[in-house]
Amino acid sequence: MNGANEVYRGTHRGAEAPRSATRSSGGAVFLTLLGKECLELLRSFKLIWVPIVFAVLGIMQPVLSYYMPIIIEKAGNMPEGTVIEIPAPMGSQVLADTLSQFGVMGILILALACMGIVSGERNSGASALVLVKPVSYASYILSKWLSIMLLSWGSLLLGYGAAWYYTWLLIEYVDVVPFLLSFVLYGLWFSFVLTVTLLFSTALRSAAGAAFTSLGAAILLTVLAGLIPKYMAWSPGALTGLAYQAATSPGWLQMEPASWWAVITALIAIAALLAASVVLLKRAPARD
Amino acid sequence: MNETLELSKMVGLLVPLIILQLILMIIALVLCVKTEETRGPKLMWVLIIIFGQLIGPIAFFLFGRRQA
Repeated sequence: MNGANEVYRGTHRGAEAPRSATRSSGGAVFLTLLGKECLELLRSFKLIWVPIVFAVLGIMQPVLSYYMPIIIEKAGNMPEGTVIEIPAPMGSQVLADTLSQFGVMGILILALACMGIVSGERNSGASALVLVKPVSYASYILSKWLSIMLLSWGSLLLGYGAAWYYTWLLIEYVDVVPFLLSFVLYGLWFSFVLTVTLLFSTALRSAAGAAFTSLGAAILLTVLAGLIPKYMAWSPGALTGLAYQAATSPGWLQMEPASWWAVITALIAIAALLAASVVLLKRAPARD
Repeated sequence: MNETLELSKMVGLLVPLIILQLILMIIALVLCVKTEETRGPKLMWVLIIIFGQLIGPIAFFLFGRRQA
């Protein structure tokens, strides 16, 4: 972390600011921290294996739906002479299936991969080493958050793009608008869940606790949004259902006001969760 | 004729999938062998990575390594 310090000194050379006076929140410090986070992702190989897993998941779903009749014929122990008519899958339906696959496996993998992002550094003492430098708590949290966002949106785009391409090859062409719209809605849901993970990673000592509380919260929200759609349509949990609708509807999805609220509350919640993480980090910057 | 076409198409479609899985497996194996200490016996992880299809390497990446 020499870099951050040097950058900080560089920007304050003329002013001769006392080192401990204020915590700088300059953009240069933030960029250095972000670079450090991305390097960390690369060193732990997360930047490589997470996108590959998403690509495999994304390819698997269209291939499976394409070969499903053959698989059932070969592997299912159907009585001789049974004829099952399986309707050819719709391309948009396959994309929605892929999204729900990402919603289970993908979110599990991402939450588990990011669970120790603050608590791990804090337990090992690395966060204390960073935070004694003139680095603001906000830029420390934000750099971690942005690195998670880069990883999750990138992986989702790669996996979903692969699914879209394979659906086009195997089943049928799905328009770009439903594809992109459902991608953005699902990405927003991912961002929300991972921001919850970041908050719990700051709040709790154990990394596994952070992963499972945030996954539990995500499951609770989606179940609530599915059970009582009338009252929970504004909650971020409704985003997954909205993304499936966006994938299956031709052209632009006609969004109801309540659905817009789901997007807005998700954005507000992400900002609030980040602010809460900064406050929590300020209260306990390091374990002693 | 039609069947060979179908077969070559199928192979062409599945090759990227297999290559991706192989890359994943190889990275996991190299990391597993190079790392000093894994959580649990190293041989167990090697077997999990090789026979665990997609789940094996993921499990190793997530749980197999001790935090340095």
